[in-house]
Amino acid sequence: MAKLMKDIEVPSDAPKEILFEKHVQFINEYGKDEDNFEYGMTDYLRLSGMYWGLTALELINAQPSQCKDNIIDYVKKCQDTNSGGISACTGHDPHILHTLCGIQILAMYDRVDAIDVEGVVKYVKSLQQPDGSFSGDKWGEIDLRFSFCSVMTLSLLNRLDAIDLEKAIEYVEKCKNFDEGFGSRPQSESHAGLIFCGVGFLSLVNRLDIINRDSLAWWLCERQLPSGGLCGRPEKLPDVCYSWWVLSSLAMLGRLHWVDGDSLKTFILACQDAEIGGFTDRPGNVPDPFHTIFGLAALSLLGEKHIQQVNPTYCMPQSVIERLGLKPQILT
Amino acid sequence: MHGRLKVKTTEEQKAEKHREQQKKLVAYRMGMKKIALSRSSDSYDPESFAISAQLLCVNPDIYTLWNYRKEVALLQRNSQNDSESEEFINFLNREVDLTEQCLLSNPKSYGSWYHRYWILMIHPQPNWEKEFNLCTKYITYDDRNFHCWDYRRLLVNKIGITLPVELKFSTDRLNNNFSNYSSWHYRSTLRKLDENCIEEELNLVQSAVFTDPADSSAWFYLRWVLSHPILSIQKRQELLEAFEELQELEPDCKWILLAKCWLTGSLVLSDKEYIDRRIQFYSELTKLDKLRKGQYEDYLKLAEKKMKT
Repeated sequence: MAKLMKDIEVPSDAPKEILFEKHVQFINEYGKDEDNFEYGMTDYLRLSGMYWGLTALELINAQPSQCKDNIIDYVKKCQDTNSGGISACTGHDPHILHTLCGIQILAMYDRVDAIDVEGVVKYVKSLQQPDGSFSGDKWGEIDLRFSFCSVMTLSLLNRLDAIDLEKAIEYVEKCKNFDEGFGSRPQSESHAGLIFCGVGFLSLVNRLDIINRDSLAWWLCERQLPSGGLCGRPEKLPDVCYSWWVLSSLAMLGRLHWVDGDSLKTFILACQDAEIGGFTDRPGNVPDPFHTIFGLAALSLLGEKHIQQVNPTYCMPQSVIERLGLKPQILT
Repeated sequence: MHGRLKVKTTEEQKAEKHREQQKKLVAYRMGMKKIALSRSSDSYDPESFAISAQLLCVNPDIYTLWNYRKEVALLQRNSQNDSESEEFINFLNREVDLTEQCLLSNPKSYGSWYHRYWILMIHPQPNWEKEFNLCTKYITYDDRNFHCWDYRRLLVNKIGITLPVELKFSTDRLNNNFSNYSSWHYRSTLRKLDENCIEEELNLVQSAVFTDPADSSAWFYLRWVLSHPILSIQKRQELLEAFEELQELEPDCKWILLAKCWLTGSLVLSDKEYIDRRIQFYSELTKLDKLRKGQYEDYLKLAEKKMKT
C-alpha cells in the first residue's frame, strides 16, 4: 500500500563546506573559452547565464575575470534599437527574460545609464496585454514568469508607472490556485518556480495581502524531503534550484523557519562539484551556472556568514537593492 | 542541465568527444549565420529553413529559430493568393509535425508547445479534435507534464468541451491513480465547491487518503475541501472520528494528524475541548515530522495563546 517517497540519498563523501575558490574558478572558466562546447551551444541564453554567474561572484565577494566595462558593452550590444528589448546575445531576438537579466547586471554595476532606458520601458510596455498579462516577446506567448520579469525590470528602472499595474495585479491574482500557489497561466498547476514569480511579483507591488500566506507556506514547506532538499511540486525529486524558489518565497512570506535549515544546507553543499566547482541539481550530476547562483543564494538566505546577504525578491545582493532605494514587501 | 549524471571518461574518449563537439559547434554557428542572413533579406530561403528545423530537433530551446519559422509562415501566407491554398496548409501541417518531433524528444520545451499552438491559430482548417486526442494520449504517458495539461485547457476552450465530460476525465484519471497531484489540481479548476458537490468531492478525496494515507497528493485537496465553510459541523465531527480510527492503523502517518489539526481548527470555536486536542496533535507532529517543526511550533504558540484567553 505505502509506496516509497521520491527522494535521493546524500552521499556520505559529498562536500560539507562551501568550496568558494572552486566556484570562482568554475564561473570564471565558464566564459573564458569561446569555443567551449557547452558555452558555445548555449548562446541563446547568454545574458541570463551572465546574470547567474556575475551575481554568484558578487555574492561571494569575487571579481569577474572579464573587466566590467566589457560586460556593460556586451549588454549594450544586445539591446535592439528598434523595439528597445534586450536579446540573449547578438544574433538572437529580444525577449523579456533577457531584458530583465541585462537590467539586473547593469543595476548591480550601477550602470543602467549605459543603455537606452526609455527603449526598455517602451519594450516592456509593448508586452502588456489588455487582460493585464505580459507576453515574453512580440510573438505572444503568455506566462506569469513574464509578468514578474516585466514588473521587476520596471521596478529596477523606477518606472512602474509605465504600465497598467492594477490590471497586471488582477491577472496575477487569476493565476492563483486552490492550494494558494501559482501556475504559468490561470488554472495552471502550482509549481515552486511559478510561485516564486507570483509571490515575487506581489512583493514588488506591495500586495502580498492577496495570498493566504499560511496555506501557501504550508505547501512550500511540504516541499522539503527527508534528504533535506526541496522539490518543485508534490511527488517530485529534490533539486538545488528549488532551494531558491521555495526558500525565497518562504522568506518573502516571513516563514523561512518552516523548513529545516540544517538538513537543507547539507543537501545544497552536497550538490557542489568538488573537482571543478559549481553546483548541480542533485549530488553527482554535471554543474552549471544556473544551479550555482541558486545554490549560493539559498545558502545566503540560510544565513551563511561568508556569502553576501541576498534579497529574496530580486535575487540580487541586498546592498544593491538598498543602494537603489528599493523596498520590496517582505512579511515578518 | 537537470538530471545529467557526471560520468568518468578516459583521455581518448575525451579527445574523441571533443572533436565531435567542435564539429557540432562549428555547424551550429554556420547554420545560425546563414539563417540570420536569410532573415535580414526578408525572404524565404528553403535551405536556411531546413537548417533551422535540424537545429531545433537537437535543441528546441533556441527560441530565435522558432521566431524565424513564424516569420517564414507569415511570409508564406502573404505570398499566397488564396489563404486556404493546399500549399499553405501543407506548409503549416509540416510545422505541426516538426513540433511533435521536438516534443517527443523534449516534452517540456516551452518553445515547441507555443509554436504548435501559434501555427494552429493561423491554420485555416485547424484540426483541434486531433490535437485533443493527442493531448489525452500524452497525458496518459506522463500525467505530471504541466505543459500538456495547459495545452489541454486551451483545447477544451477551443472545442467547447463541456464541463461534465472533463469532470469525468478527471474522475477517471484519479481512479486510475489517486497519487497524482496534477489530476487533483485539474479537478479543482473544474469544481466550484458548493452544497451540490461538496459531499461528492469529500467522498472522493476521503477514499483516496484512506487507500494510501502515506501519499501526499490527495491531502492537499482534502485541506481545500475542509477549508470550505459550507461543510457542516456534524460532517467535520464524523470525519474526525474516521481519522481517529485510521490513525490506529497508521500511527506514524503525519498526514492524518495534520488533518485532525485542520478539523479541530475549524471546530475550535464550538468547543474548547478541541483546543487541548489541537495542542496535543501539534506536539506529536513536532516529534513525528521534525523537518517542519518550525511550522508546528508557530501553531502551538497560537493554540496556547488561545487557550489562555
